[in-house]
Amino acid sequence: MSEKEQYKNRIELLQGTLDMLILQTLQWGPQHGYGIVQALRLRSGEVLQVETGSLYPALHRLERQSWVQSEWGQSESKQRARYYRITAKGKKQLASDLGRWERIVEAIGSVMYVKSKENES
Amino acid sequence: MKWGIGFQRRKRELQEEIDAHLQMAIADRVARGETAETARQAAAREFGNILLVQDVTREMWGQGWLEQLGRDLRYALRQLRKSPGFTITATAMLAVAICANSTIFSWIDGTMLRPIPGARDTGELVSLQRGERNFSPTPPFSYLDYRDLREQNHTFAGILAYHNDWIALTGGAQPERVYIANVSANFFDVLGIKPVLGRFFLPEEESSAVPNVVLGYSLWKTRYAKDPAIVGKSIEVARHPVTVIGVAPEGFVGAAPGLRDDLWVTLDPLGNDVWRMTHRDSDWLIVIGRLRPGVSRGQAAQDLDTVMHNIVAAYPDQHLGDNRITLDPMWRSPFGANGYMASTLPILLAFAGVVLLLTSANVATLTLVRFVSRRRELAIRQSLGANRIQLVRQMMLEGAVLSIVAGVVALVLTSWTSKTFAWFFPANAAPLVLNGSMDHRVVIGIAVSSLLAGMLCGVLPAWRSAHAPAIEVLKAESASISGGSRNRRLLNGLVVAQIALSLPLLICSGLFLQTLRNLATANPGFEQDHVLTASVGLNIAGYSNDEAQLIRHKILDRVSALPGVEVASLTDWIPMTLIQKRSDAYPEGYVPHPHESLLVENAEVGPRYFESLHIPILEGREFTLNDDEKAPSVLVVDQTAARRFWPGQDPLGKGLKVWGRLFTVVGVARNSTHTFVNESPEAMVYMSYFQHPGYETMVQLRTAGNPVDLEPVVENTIHEIDTRLPVFDVRTMRESTQLASTFAVIESTLAGMFALIGLVLAVTGIYGVVAYRTQMRTHEIGVRVALGASRVDVLRLVLSQGLWLTGIGVALGLALAFGLTRIIVRLLYGIGANDPITVVSVVMLLGAMSLAACYLPAHRAMRRNPVTAIREL
Repeated sequence: MSEKEQYKNRIELLQGTLDMLILQTLQWGPQHGYGIVQALRLRSGEVLQVETGSLYPALHRLERQSWVQSEWGQSESKQRARYYRITAKGKKQLASDLGRWERIVEAIGSVMYVKSKENES
Repeated sequence: MKWGIGFQRRKRELQEEIDAHLQMAIADRVARGETAETARQAAAREFGNILLVQDVTREMWGQGWLEQLGRDLRYALRQLRKSPGFTITATAMLAVAICANSTIFSWIDGTMLRPIPGARDTGELVSLQRGERNFSPTPPFSYLDYRDLREQNHTFAGILAYHNDWIALTGGAQPERVYIANVSANFFDVLGIKPVLGRFFLPEEESSAVPNVVLGYSLWKTRYAKDPAIVGKSIEVARHPVTVIGVAPEGFVGAAPGLRDDLWVTLDPLGNDVWRMTHRDSDWLIVIGRLRPGVSRGQAAQDLDTVMHNIVAAYPDQHLGDNRITLDPMWRSPFGANGYMASTLPILLAFAGVVLLLTSANVATLTLVRFVSRRRELAIRQSLGANRIQLVRQMMLEGAVLSIVAGVVALVLTSWTSKTFAWFFPANAAPLVLNGSMDHRVVIGIAVSSLLAGMLCGVLPAWRSAHAPAIEVLKAESASISGGSRNRRLLNGLVVAQIALSLPLLICSGLFLQTLRNLATANPGFEQDHVLTASVGLNIAGYSNDEAQLIRHKILDRVSALPGVEVASLTDWIPMTLIQKRSDAYPEGYVPHPHESLLVENAEVGPRYFESLHIPILEGREFTLNDDEKAPSVLVVDQTAARRFWPGQDPLGKGLKVWGRLFTVVGVARNSTHTFVNESPEAMVYMSYFQHPGYETMVQLRTAGNPVDLEPVVENTIHEIDTRLPVFDVRTMRESTQLASTFAVIESTLAGMFALIGLVLAVTGIYGVVAYRTQMRTHEIGVRVALGASRVDVLRLVLSQGLWLTGIGVALGLALAFGLTRIIVRLLYGIGANDPITVVSVVMLLGAMSLAACYLPAHRAMRRNPVTAIREL
């Protein structure tokens, strides 16, 4: 399988989850792509390493769905960069993503819980 | 292109965005104490494949496929530009092959698919035929029978009848011959034609003597300068005043496919043809019906058969012989030209299809050879992240680009070649309007054939190449790139296919060419070389019977006296001009079996007719001037008629009933060709011209010298008698009879061209593959020679490979040819479909050509210096 297909598949797997993570990161203020990667890495305790091959397609898709807006700005180091800002529609999406995520976590948790209980008995 | 500019800007912005990302990553690393160089490398590594990220991101924009297509297209064009030799060759070959198909198709389109231009839904129209099926039948219905069929059927929306004729437009300075049709009143209605001016005929006008005429558009345009007030005016037709009541729309030229009418009148506009309006044994109408929606041809035929059965039961004496009704769709209607078209053009289209297949196989071979040498490039692209679908798409696109360009070239070519069909028809008396047409159907046809060709020559190599495992190809030495065994098999298969396809083409064209030669050299049984004929429009110009007889005698006297004229005669029929007259005939006292066909051909000929054509009278005598209206009715029969009616007896003095009258046989003439050299002989009876004046007056002269030299003299001599006499179709017998072999000429010309293309393709195909493979084996051959192989061994090595392929191809091709020649067997003359000499010579030709094609690379390989060959990789 080629590299490109791997990217695509990963996007599909993480779709929703990656969107949610990006939107959540942008909740704290406008950010550029590199900043989002760094933020996710730091806040996840170096666990989540978002690949650029997933990040940029996701950002551009979110923009197309009007969940984020972008504009060119200056970074702290005077680097011209593209900043993404979450929109009202994006916030609504984030809320629903979060709700769904919580339900999934709960559902998976209850499965795992029951299963481990059965194993114990 | 606002969108394009926006797209370019977005691409630039994405590049900038990614650059910013990298700069920030580097800056962070430098801040953490890394050196600039290692920071740059690490950041790039961390980022990954920049191009790919861009690629995937761009796909999110929603226009990805378009951009991808554009990119693939640009890449394909670049690849094609890089090898102009291949590109030009392949495009030219495909263009020729597509053009071959579209040209034939445009001819079919202009004739069979457009049987009656201007008519509505010609698919619903059927042509009615009564009695035995015949290749060129005479009009089958009488007026009263037609009316009964029209009124008593339950399956037709309408049934029309017409009768083609020619006539002179008088009233001008010179009489002008025009083609006219007597039509039933519903003629235009059933066809769905609306007048551009005035009106068409009314039902009450059909059988009454109303001298009304409808003009054809081109006659209105040329002779009456599109006079908008023409309706109501009187014009003179054959010296009778008739009133113009309407003008037909542009493009409509009548109901007989391939023939033109200039004007239309009702069935008996002058009231002087009462006989054929009231007699059921006067068959003169050609009948076309429009089926009711949902009715099949079979149901309609059954319905008409029932009606016809009742008619025959009521009037048995007027319906001797076979009376079964058959229906034909207009594309193969036996009346008009489509019967001939339908037996020739589809076969030629099949040949053209074979040429297209052959060409595709050839281009596929070239493409494959090219792709094999591009394996490295493909493997690199694959390992850089291109997936198989992308590669296949890419390569099919290259095939598609080739075939689209070829299709466009073919389109331009066809707009010209479609019009060449008319070239095949020699000058003749019939108003032929046969030509190809270039319309949406042809364009669709071209699109379909280019698509097909593109698929055929693109998919196979693409799929094959894309299956190559990238790593192996990259590792492998160039010598083994020539491919694994699968690749070799594919190439071999293609070469074999080309030979197998070209062989039947060659055999068929060989058979057609010999047919043409046999037809040209066949003896038709009458003199063709020193005979001149000229038509005099006596009847059509409106002379009375007595006037006409007088003029005929005068003409005969004057032309006989011309220097250079050996014999002069009169006739109303010229053999081998696709025109026939038939009548029911039965010998005195003979009781016909039910459904027995009693039709004979007949012609009215003057004194010395047989002498002028060198047709020997075997028994009795030929006609003299004394066989006139006052003398007892006499006949000359040919051998076929004599054998049919009086087998084993002397026919002289016997009685034969034709047209309800008894004739006495006074002579037996040797058989001669009536219509086609390869016809099965039909019985022929000749009547005396001065006893029963023929409808046409044709002067027939046997000349001492070249008949062409007499053409102007004869025309002047006739005009001297009466300047208003229309004289037309003055031409030599040789020229007139050419019409009969027109289709053999068409068949052999096109089959010959296709076969030549096939031969060139097959030979270049085998040459290409053997040369390529020999080049790939240069190293191996060098080693062999170095180890002691002789030059002959090398020669044998290379040759055997090519000849093996030829052998298999020839074997398959022969099997194919035996199938294909069965289709054309009806079109051949004087040669069997499996003629061994043709087959053997074609096989030898193909064998010799491929031997030569293989010898060239073998010779090159043989002469290579082994040392340089080994070094070269």
